[in-house]
Amino acid sequence: MRAMKNLLTRPVRLPRLKPYVPSPDDPPIFWFNSERQDVVRDVVRRVVDRLAADRRPLEYALNDVAYEEVKRLESQRDDEARASLGTWRGMIRKVGRMSEAEKRDALQSICTRMTHDIAGNFDPRVYRFSTGMLPQLLTGIMKPSALPEELMSLGRRTHVIDEMLRTEGDTAHLRALAKKGTLVFVPTHSSNLDSIALGYALMREGLPPVVYGAGKNLFTNPIISFFMHNLGAYRVDRRIRAGLYKDVLKSYSTVMIERGYHSLFFPGGTRSRSGLVERKLKLGLAGTAIEAFTNNRVRGIARPVYFVPTTINYGLVLEAETLIEDWLKESGKARYIIEDDEFTQVDRWLAFFRRLAQMESACVLRFGRPLDCFGNAVDPEGHSLAPDGRAIDPGGYVSLRGTPTVDPKRDAEYTRELGQQLVDEYERETVLMSTQIVAHALFRRLVKATPGVDLFGRLRHRGEITVDRAELAAEVGAMRDRLAGLASTGAVHLSDLSLRGAPETMLDRVFSAWGGYHRRTIVLEHDGKVTAEDPTMLLYYQNRLVPYAERIAESPDDLAAAQQIARLGAGT
Amino acid sequence: MKRTVGIVGGGGFGRALGRAVVRGGGHARLWSRRQASPLDGVECTTDMAAMAGCELLFVAVPSMHVAQAADALGHHIDGRHLLVHVSRGVVGEGLTTVSRVLRERTPARRVGCLAGPIQARTLEDGVPGGGIVGSGFPEVYEAVHEALGGPSLRLYQTDDVKGTELSSAFVGLLALAIGFARQLGVGPGALAVLATRGMVEASRVGVSLGGDERTFSGLAGYGDLIAAIAGDGRPEIALGEALGRGLSPGRAAEEAGAYIEGISIARNLQRYAARRGIEVPITDALADALEGKVSPPGVIERLMSRRVRHE
Repeated sequence: MRAMKNLLTRPVRLPRLKPYVPSPDDPPIFWFNSERQDVVRDVVRRVVDRLAADRRPLEYALNDVAYEEVKRLESQRDDEARASLGTWRGMIRKVGRMSEAEKRDALQSICTRMTHDIAGNFDPRVYRFSTGMLPQLLTGIMKPSALPEELMSLGRRTHVIDEMLRTEGDTAHLRALAKKGTLVFVPTHSSNLDSIALGYALMREGLPPVVYGAGKNLFTNPIISFFMHNLGAYRVDRRIRAGLYKDVLKSYSTVMIERGYHSLFFPGGTRSRSGLVERKLKLGLAGTAIEAFTNNRVRGIARPVYFVPTTINYGLVLEAETLIEDWLKESGKARYIIEDDEFTQVDRWLAFFRRLAQMESACVLRFGRPLDCFGNAVDPEGHSLAPDGRAIDPGGYVSLRGTPTVDPKRDAEYTRELGQQLVDEYERETVLMSTQIVAHALFRRLVKATPGVDLFGRLRHRGEITVDRAELAAEVGAMRDRLAGLASTGAVHLSDLSLRGAPETMLDRVFSAWGGYHRRTIVLEHDGKVTAEDPTMLLYYQNRLVPYAERIAESPDDLAAAQQIARLGAGT
Repeated sequence: MKRTVGIVGGGGFGRALGRAVVRGGGHARLWSRRQASPLDGVECTTDMAAMAGCELLFVAVPSMHVAQAADALGHHIDGRHLLVHVSRGVVGEGLTTVSRVLRERTPARRVGCLAGPIQARTLEDGVPGGGIVGSGFPEVYEAVHEALGGPSLRLYQTDDVKGTELSSAFVGLLALAIGFARQLGVGPGALAVLATRGMVEASRVGVSLGGDERTFSGLAGYGDLIAAIAGDGRPEIALGEALGRGLSPGRAAEEAGAYIEGISIARNLQRYAARRGIEVPITDALADALEGKVSPPGVIERLMSRRVRHE
């Protein structure tokens, strides 16, 4: 019984009779299993050394971790609590009597346990299976009617999934850089599907697989857990609040990047609850990439690190209803881990994917221009470029009087500035989908019709805004033309349907997508008129347009409404 | 051994910086567009490439010329260099700070600003004074302190670069307003109201742009404004007085004898605040006066007739 339970809750690895010997052309992650122990040792050593050198005594770190763990486990009351609570309580009792050597040993043992729990795995067999079978698998889920055809033509190069997941950006540039240094993908985050979509896109574009931190709650589904665990994901338990755990996590990421493992972080930290493109980033993990670059330079290793800002853009968002409600609830803002959203409900997956399959380019994943750790553009040779196009040495940024130095405060400032730049890149690299444009047209009407009313007041105006369909189509067409103007300057991008579709077609597709997937009725059509039934969902989808709202307003009324809409994004 | 400190800009402030560096025992290299008149102990050049040899570089050009200077400097520097500007301006309708222009147009990232009640004369004559260095990079503060700090100059440090730059720019504008009001015979009590409410207005805008409210109460904000009101010979005050006498902005600037950043800031600040829905009555009145839309006495009347609310 216990073995069965473990099978469902712990990541499963396939047995191997003899160790895999990577070939020189394999991506770095193929070497991971042979380095795993060494990585764990390196992480533990760094964390323990750092704490030992800290002016605060080791007792402080031990007390803190024990106190936080007792607090967490007491509220969990599960198997883990039964197994570990006693140990942590014992630690609190005896830490005051421990010698320095004992404290160091205890710390080392805690860090080792934590690092083993975090460290992922990479199985080339699972990777090869995934590369071969994932398109068919995804097709089976998304468009079952196309599965027989997919299976009959195994080995062909294009799949149904390829029509639905579109990749944009200079992938040849990224392939070249993957050979020169370490890539760190930093995408926007809207859905738990993001890592799957990005993983597939990397595979299809011939880009190397990446390591990434995934919330431990995602490992509760045994199938997803199996693939994530064996394809390089490391586990992040967001319930653990102890500072030591964060130290271990950051050190793990630093060590991985130092060793050249291509990585992925979601700088938003969690899925965007509002639908807005992230403006406030949590840069702890991004900072580890800069730290890794600096550490290598100090050791005389010149391996560059390249950040790749990426936007993941959906016409429909699987978890939209839960996310926006969470955003609107004041108490919900503190809810970091949602375990009961649409991602965990199989029927919602099926409804979602089947509706997606009817949309053209249901997900557009856009790779932005790669940047070095200091926000400079990078050429395909891997050189950092000054604004005038001159190649410069990125090592200069971490040097003082000609010598590379470790300076956490300096690197924290570089990270903060890079974060600001990522926010700007996200805005430029966003691909606007027709659902978002139509939602903005309707929401702007709602704002105009409710002067002086605050956001929550407006959201109560359900079913009160009705517009002639032809009039709405004309407005959507005009809005699209203005957005196309912005897109021509590189300020934003538009999906194919948004750019080329007739406004009437856009309305048809958008209403059908919303109606076929979301449980809530977003709009109602009757007698050539369209009624905005659910302002909350319109808010969610239109929020993607917040940064551009003022620039696409035509009349002074539109502009006033757009300014109010723009202020929605100011505090996020 | 002290390193060579570079100064980009041969105006009054640039030359004063050169003198201060030399007085502190350092070596200074000053770049100017035209051959500058010789300065004791300061190496003068018109070759921007020569500035690449200086790790610390002061940028002492008015904000309207910063982009051009940054482009020229950007060809010769890289990530090793530390840039510190002394401009009291912000650029364009987006109120872009000068440090941002430097970061966007050069490869330098370790950028900061020198602000507060420091005047060219303070630096040149070595009279006791103080200022503030805004930079998130500790080495920038340390380098500025090494180059300029000493028994006669107390230099404080803040991480809030944006707040420091915006405070500095808005104080320039307020100094102009105070000179203007003084010329119209406004008494000390009303001047105090103008200064205090003006700083509140400035911090409101500054916070919306990402500055820290506390910075406006520090050396870069109130400290600088007090020095201006106390009569440190600030050209903005002279400009305000000339405008109060009814001179056109062009004539007034000529009379004040320096390029003054406050004039362009007023209009840009007014537009920015309107877009963001921020109330800025003092800036509004001043911007309208500078454009000749309101007569000088009309400005005072407009401000005094506003409804009084809770402070």
